[in-house]
Amino acid sequence: MNRLHPRVRLLWVARAVLTAAILGGVALAVQRILAPPWLPGWTPIGVFVGFGALGVVVALARYRVWRYEVREDSLYLERGVLTRVRTVVPFVRVQHVDTARSPIERVVGLASTVVYTAGSRGADVSIPGLAPDDADDLRERLKRLAIRSEGEDAV
Amino acid sequence: MPQSLSPLSVPYRVLQRGSGIAVALAFGLGGGFEIPGLGPAGPIVLLLVAGLAALGLIAYETAYVRRFSYELTADTLDIDSGVFSRRSREIPLRRIQNVDISRNVIQRVLGIAVVSFETAGGGDTEAQLRFVSFEEAKRLQRELPRLKRQAERTGEEGEATEAAERGAVEPELEELFALDRSELAILGALSVDPRVPGVLFVLVSTVGSTIVPAYLTTVRGTTLVGVAAAVLVGVAVVSWIVGAVAAIVEYYDFRLVRSGDELQYERGLLQRYDGSIPFDKIQTLTIADNPLKRHFGYATLYIETAGYAPGGSSGGGSRGSEAAIPLAKRQHVLTLVEELEPLGDVDFQRPPTRARRRYLVRYLLVVGVFAAVLYAARSLLPVSFPLWPLLLLVPAAAGFAHATWKHRGHWLGDQHVVTRNGVLQRETKIVPYYRIQTVIDSRTVFQRRLGLATVTVDTAGSLSLGGQDAAAVDVSGERADELRAELEARLGRAVDAYRAGRAGIGVDEAADATSNGSVSGSSAEGGPDDSGAPDESGSTDA
Repeated sequence: MNRLHPRVRLLWVARAVLTAAILGGVALAVQRILAPPWLPGWTPIGVFVGFGALGVVVALARYRVWRYEVREDSLYLERGVLTRVRTVVPFVRVQHVDTARSPIERVVGLASTVVYTAGSRGADVSIPGLAPDDADDLRERLKRLAIRSEGEDAV
Repeated sequence: MPQSLSPLSVPYRVLQRGSGIAVALAFGLGGGFEIPGLGPAGPIVLLLVAGLAALGLIAYETAYVRRFSYELTADTLDIDSGVFSRRSREIPLRRIQNVDISRNVIQRVLGIAVVSFETAGGGDTEAQLRFVSFEEAKRLQRELPRLKRQAERTGEEGEATEAAERGAVEPELEELFALDRSELAILGALSVDPRVPGVLFVLVSTVGSTIVPAYLTTVRGTTLVGVAAAVLVGVAVVSWIVGAVAAIVEYYDFRLVRSGDELQYERGLLQRYDGSIPFDKIQTLTIADNPLKRHFGYATLYIETAGYAPGGSSGGGSRGSEAAIPLAKRQHVLTLVEELEPLGDVDFQRPPTRARRRYLVRYLLVVGVFAAVLYAARSLLPVSFPLWPLLLLVPAAAGFAHATWKHRGHWLGDQHVVTRNGVLQRETKIVPYYRIQTVIDSRTVFQRRLGLATVTVDTAGSLSLGGQDAAAVDVSGERADELRAELEARLGRAVDAYRAGRAGIGVDEAADATSNGSVSGSSAEGGPDDSGAPDESGSTDA
């Protein structure tokens, strides 16, 4: 079982902090502009700290849970903090494989691999937080395995 | 040789597009609409503009119809279309999921039809011919499977000659099912439109927003309960009538015919649908029923392909895929299922009994929330009504929890995984192993506490977009691990079997003879023995 690149925690924690900062900003704006008398003065800070802490905990937990494995005939993923999801993607059903790097991912030096199937939830299967070389490797490996196990597709 | 659309489609298209504009214009003229600066000449100018617009429309539609050409070649369907921007398409025949013909009343009078070709890609109809003559539409629908067979034969030269000869002869038609008058009446009687209460609620809340509160303040508690009951009954009756009318209009004169390796259906009172479903494109079969249908021994069968079904989003009512059989005696439905996908005896494995406790808690929570809302309403509104009738809901919740548990189950057969869920709308889904795309095992926090899991089987079917995939809900954690591995292994075996040319997918006489000895077509009684199924047990791990 492989784990994600540890640096993905940085990405997720940063994202959580950013979200918390935006929510805090909204709270600050509400307090300054609308100034409801029942709102205590520390609300923006509270919102920021509360959501930030929650987001960070969830991000770290998500990293702890995330596992993936390239098996003989399928790709296996395990993830989810509240709802634990385990997905099996047989290689025969892989339509195509993408490697994607968003600007933020590029800054951190990570990439994600997305595996598409013809299923109605097809694009759900993506592995975030891989080192770019690993992502390319994984993509190539998945591609080879999918080609090797090529069959008449199911649609 | 490329062919063009029916010449009658020009006037129809013009009228279709123009009628909207004409209505708007009529409103403008009738409402004494005046253009500033034109004075009394205004209406004349307006008429002139309208005439020019009509001419333009006629010219455009004529050009569109003249510039539209299609051709059915040996292995593709080629379509060239477009007036200003041209578009050429080549659709490989073997990628076409189904061909559907639809005609509304006017189109039927004119003898023209819309032909839709569905492929698995995208959420939309791949190609539509608007409009060709009905005969031409039928010809396309007939010709397509023949060309497909031919292409397959040339593609696999080494195929047995027996199969080649079979493909050459015109397929015989066999009527599988026809909905007679009495069944149509029963279908209407058993159809309740669930959307009506919502619509009524919106109507009442907008139109009657002033009347209702005024009325509420004048009446007393016990009368209010009576009025509420009367309103509920009224809503139920209206939903029932609307559902009945919709079902009768939709499924009037329904016929299901087997033609070679295709299913063909016809249905509809006002708008007539005429479609074909190739057996080898079937993704999932769904048997649906509700308590009423169960009581009277009826069921509905949906056949799902990866294509986009006609009338799915725009037609309303149907759920993406066409109901292959809107209503039939349960035994009849099972016979047809057996013919399409030889299942054998299905022996469902229920969730562990601790799942039932979960449902009880869930429904009691619903009752609790309902009670809290009513309590809040009583203390905030100037009306008083008794809360004790809510206690009656507690045994109802218990009963419903038991029913939920009882109707839930899954089963692994020789070639298929079968799941069953739901009480009020119970769905039994039959997925051939070969059609599995991914297997998803998810466990929420609450499920993990009880050691339960939900295993969802994702297919490429179009119906599943609403999140109604086949799922074994609330199985024990160990069973879920087992199912994940087992389903993957069986998919692998099914793919191997398919490559070896003896798949148990769809109806394929040659395949059936070799695979499990079940004879399709006459397996109503004494279905194939399921001794080959390595694992199924009716027991629940209580």
